[in-house]
Amino acid sequence: MTADLSRAALETGEVLVVERLGGGLLELVARLPHLAATAMPGTFAQLRCGQSTTPLLRRPFSVAWTQDDTCGFVFEAVGAGTRLLSELQPGDPLDSLGPLGHGFSVVDGGSVVCVSGGLGCAPFPLLINELRRRGVEDILVLNGARTATRLYPAERFARPAVPVVAEATDDGTRGHHGPVTDLLDQALSAHPSALYACGPNAMLGAVMRTLLESGAGLPPTLEASLEAPMGCGFGTCLGCALPVLGEDGASVWKLCCTDGPVMPMREVDWDGLRALPGADVA
Amino acid sequence: MNEHGLNGVDLGRGLILPNAVGLASGTAGYGFELQQLMDINRLGALYTKGTTVHARAGNPPPRVAETGGGMLNSIGLQNPGVEVVATAYAPRWRGWAIPVIVNVAGGSVDDYVQCVRILDPIAEVAGVELNISCPNIAQGLDFGRDPGAAARLMAAVRAVTERCVIVKLSPNVSDIAAVARAVEDAGADAVSAVNTYIGRKIHRATGRSVLPLGTGGLSGPAIQPLALAAVAAVCDAVHIPVIGVGGIVDAGSARDFLIVGACAVQVGTATFVNPETALQVLDGLRD
Repeated sequence: MTADLSRAALETGEVLVVERLGGGLLELVARLPHLAATAMPGTFAQLRCGQSTTPLLRRPFSVAWTQDDTCGFVFEAVGAGTRLLSELQPGDPLDSLGPLGHGFSVVDGGSVVCVSGGLGCAPFPLLINELRRRGVEDILVLNGARTATRLYPAERFARPAVPVVAEATDDGTRGHHGPVTDLLDQALSAHPSALYACGPNAMLGAVMRTLLESGAGLPPTLEASLEAPMGCGFGTCLGCALPVLGEDGASVWKLCCTDGPVMPMREVDWDGLRALPGADVA
Repeated sequence: MNEHGLNGVDLGRGLILPNAVGLASGTAGYGFELQQLMDINRLGALYTKGTTVHARAGNPPPRVAETGGGMLNSIGLQNPGVEVVATAYAPRWRGWAIPVIVNVAGGSVDDYVQCVRILDPIAEVAGVELNISCPNIAQGLDFGRDPGAAARLMAAVRAVTERCVIVKLSPNVSDIAAVARAVEDAGADAVSAVNTYIGRKIHRATGRSVLPLGTGGLSGPAIQPLALAAVAAVCDAVHIPVIGVGGIVDAGSARDFLIVGACAVQVGTATFVNPETALQVLDGLRD
């Protein structure tokens, strides 16, 4: 199966602002008309970080939200590429390739739970906007982070009407003191029609474990946006392999960039994923 | 322009590339993704992902790691196997203006011969490129490092096909010219040089190698001067056409290979950064 890349395009846009949200979270807003018009919830853009050959590769970012001809991206300056993005000034060019990847299956009804860990907040504003457009109003966001300043602000998950956001911090500085998965039991008691998760792969594995142990039954739509070190982002380098359970139950490699980044959580080989070494941030 | 074959590069046995700029093996899949992102049919050749007798799942991740001006990869020749390429992919190349050259890899002479036999009758396959230089699989370099073994492999492949056969050379050898001469003598129609350089990256936080197998293949602009030296040495050593590859990012870095004697080039890792790089190289060379 060849990935459908028919929407993806190269585009040089313009930075409007890089906003510091606190705790190291940054929100980059850029005029990217093609991406804004075509991005679906859960898809991503490969952004070029500077014009030099170091860093060489683009960096993948979920399209956090779109409005008219602009797009938002949430990130943190953790490596050479994201540091360059963090230093962009209004008016600077921004080179994007997108939208790329397989996004969320957006449900048309029932109640929805979004589970976010840290920068995993990124795809949810666009998803929530699309859910509401389809008439889904019962949306609960479970938002977890290490500490209060690193929580994506609740009012940014959807505008203008803010959804219900329950917060959890590892250090107890805001909301529930503990991992965001502690909030799942109560959320599941409402038998949501869909649960969408995004965050570090280890956190996603913990979400799946909690769901399986809860006894509440798995939501019919159960998807996670995963991450992997990525070369091209469009399915040719084969660099971003993730372990997924094949039809016979054996683990096979699928590509994060074109088979994902959103994958059905039932199909991910969570044990295989946990066994992988941690990412090298360059 | 014509002196560099920008309007046609004759690799022998009837294979004439429409121009000198191709897409390197391992960076363009089988063309189906890039076909959607740019006008692939303007290019001179598509060298497919390394293809083996049996399907290969590839290496465990992480498979890529960025380095200064380059990247390491350890994909492990993930591919669907030659039967799938022959029966499911080749029909999709019908009508493409770009010649598709299938890159073939294996662990034994028989592996290569079997692949080439299967591909030989297929009209959509313009030629084969023998990958004797993959650093990321066991035995991947066995043929690339030993001129005698490379020659025996080439001779065995020559015996089963009249098609154009290109041999992709490894730079991870002490004397690349010797391997080039050996495969020329054994009947190769052309050589391409170079495949990736063996490299390693250490995860600064853990002190361990980033890539699970320890090493990977280094590509990208960081290797261009190294590749250029290797290609110059090969050009001096053989009379058959030489295709230059390694770190090309623009027309200037491509022209360097033509200046040292290559008749064509392949754009590799730069395609990951910008799918249109090869087209920009072609347009730049023509200006």
